[in-house]
Amino acid sequence: MSAQLPANLSAETVREISDARDEPEWLLEARLEALEALDELELPDVIQTPGRRWTNLEALDFESLVDPLNQADETTRESPEGVVVLPFTEALSEYGDLIEERFGSVVDPKSNYLTALSAALFTTGTFIYVPEGVDAEDVKIRAEMNSRSLFSHTLVVTEKSSSVTILEAIESGDSVDDARYFSNLVEIDAGENSYVQYGSLQNLDEETYTYSLKRADAGTYSTVNWIEGNLGSRLTRSDVETELNGEASETKIVGAFFGHDDQHLDVNARVWHKAENTTADLVTRGVLDDEARSVYEGVQDVGRDAWSTNSYQRENTLMLSDQSEADASPKLIINNHDTEASHAASVGQVDAEDLFYMVSRSIPEEQARNMLVEGFFVPVLEEIAVDEFRDDLEELIAARLR
Amino acid sequence: MATLEIKNLHARVAEEDGEQILRGVDLEVKSGEIHALMGPNGSGKSTTSKIIAGHPAYEVTDGEILLHLEDDDFGDLEIPDDARTWNLLELEPNERAALGIFLGFQYPAEIEGVTMTNFLRTALNAKIDEREELLFGEDDEEEEEEAGYDTSPMEGNVDDGEVGVAEFQKLLKEKMELLDMDEKFMQRYLNAGFSGGEKKQNEVLQAAILEPSIAVLDEIDSGLDIDRLQDVSKGINALRDEQGTGILQITHYQRILEYVEPDHVHIMLDGKVVKSGDASLASDLEDKGYDWVREEVYEAA
Repeated sequence: MSAQLPANLSAETVREISDARDEPEWLLEARLEALEALDELELPDVIQTPGRRWTNLEALDFESLVDPLNQADETTRESPEGVVVLPFTEALSEYGDLIEERFGSVVDPKSNYLTALSAALFTTGTFIYVPEGVDAEDVKIRAEMNSRSLFSHTLVVTEKSSSVTILEAIESGDSVDDARYFSNLVEIDAGENSYVQYGSLQNLDEETYTYSLKRADAGTYSTVNWIEGNLGSRLTRSDVETELNGEASETKIVGAFFGHDDQHLDVNARVWHKAENTTADLVTRGVLDDEARSVYEGVQDVGRDAWSTNSYQRENTLMLSDQSEADASPKLIINNHDTEASHAASVGQVDAEDLFYMVSRSIPEEQARNMLVEGFFVPVLEEIAVDEFRDDLEELIAARLR
Repeated sequence: MATLEIKNLHARVAEEDGEQILRGVDLEVKSGEIHALMGPNGSGKSTTSKIIAGHPAYEVTDGEILLHLEDDDFGDLEIPDDARTWNLLELEPNERAALGIFLGFQYPAEIEGVTMTNFLRTALNAKIDEREELLFGEDDEEEEEEAGYDTSPMEGNVDDGEVGVAEFQKLLKEKMELLDMDEKFMQRYLNAGFSGGEKKQNEVLQAAILEPSIAVLDEIDSGLDIDRLQDVSKGINALRDEQGTGILQITHYQRILEYVEPDHVHIMLDGKVVKSGDASLASDLEDKGYDWVREEVYEAA
């Protein structure tokens, strides 16, 4: 691996983190294993077009960005009755066996260099457990990042016939002069006939580099819906993925991003259809202003055993500036002919005729444009179950426009 | 009483070597009058309507478009003496609309994510604000900036504007009843998934809400079934009878003129108004066709 490791990134450092959190032996071992794997692992793949590598992760200076022993965050967790929402340090005593069984079972820490780094160093994150038959609405986790680097790991386990809606929001707290690094791994193990909506709102300051991998294992008749909102950061690499492993399982991966200045957003949505009668719907809407850039990859992979699959994908990027750039590659891989699938991507500007129509009704041009942009995000907003998340996202979009 | 005065209007497509479309259009429409503007395809009718509204795709090369206002045009609002005649070509499209120009589109835009209610209330409030600013030069920038925030694509600016949500919904409901439109349209996205007829009804509804001095309706009648044609016609007549709006109706067909009887009929050919008359001109045209006009005009010349 080509990235320069921080000088104090050693087994000793990892032990220190684990000791301070009073973790069981298995978790320390898992951290050490991830640490050891770093040498052999590569950075995640990025989109390349002729002559261009869109997201240059190699250029990240991990040596100065990553400061493993000085991680700090302030996180509040709101949990409705019947559902467990705890930091791992508190959850381990009561749910240790369950966590040991499921931790890292959906997101393999050795997926790539950045996942391994995260697994070795995480100090914050949440364990969410929804017991059988429990319906829980509005789990809210709000985190504030207060250090140069922060590594977070979240595990969601839903038992049979349970349901939960979750909002995870991350923003910057205390200001740090230099660049920062935020890493976020989220894994969802969705049990039979359970329902999860996991909403994520990233609004970090524009000195922060962000890596996030969210992945779900959808069991029989379960539904996993992701809502991924990215407004902050200097550079974001975000992967949201669902494996439809259970028969008749479903997923929606819904994304919204709004970049400005020279933000770089690399957002990806992927689904693997691995069982019969599974359904996926991937919808991403992005807006770019100023010199912002976006890269999108959407993958629908229909496996050989995925009979009777329905799989849809749409990505639309709206450019508000001539200097912004976008690349989108929707990919469809079909290994079972019994599939109904579609995929489409578009990149364009605000429609001149739409704008004229509104302006001809007295609405000043800028206000009309803003209404069109806000309207453009409505298909995403309409999917959000947690009201507070929808309100926050709307507000951030409105504020960025004005 | 407002007067829209188009004098010797020449215009071309606003691009390099853009085609000259208008070659000297003269036309005058007053409040309370109904004018029909007819002519074959490509004669410049739609272009005329778009230029009145300020469409950026056209460049005016000669002539002018004036709007003359009189005291009663904006209800009780007193119009300063120096703000009674406006050169529309110097105004932005939204400013023209604020002074009472309305364009009913032949192909209204479909806008996802913006509800009818939000759109129309925003438009009405923007019109009131902009009009005051134009007439009295009032500059309430500060207020506008504050207002921008509490917005939502579903509901619009809840606290913002002269006309509040409740008051507006009452107004909208009244106007929709008049046009025989279903209330469900209020929460639907602007023209999205509307049928052709519903879109045209919606254009007339918007005019009814915005109460223009002069409404230019571009082929509002095309593609309507008879029921919808009657609803739309009723709406247009109500604009004139109840709000004193002057109507410039662009149409290919005599059919709508049976329901919306014009005071004046004009015929355009090759970028000019070549013949004007009363309602009987439209029936003559129906009988004899444009070749008749062409022969008459070019022989006389």
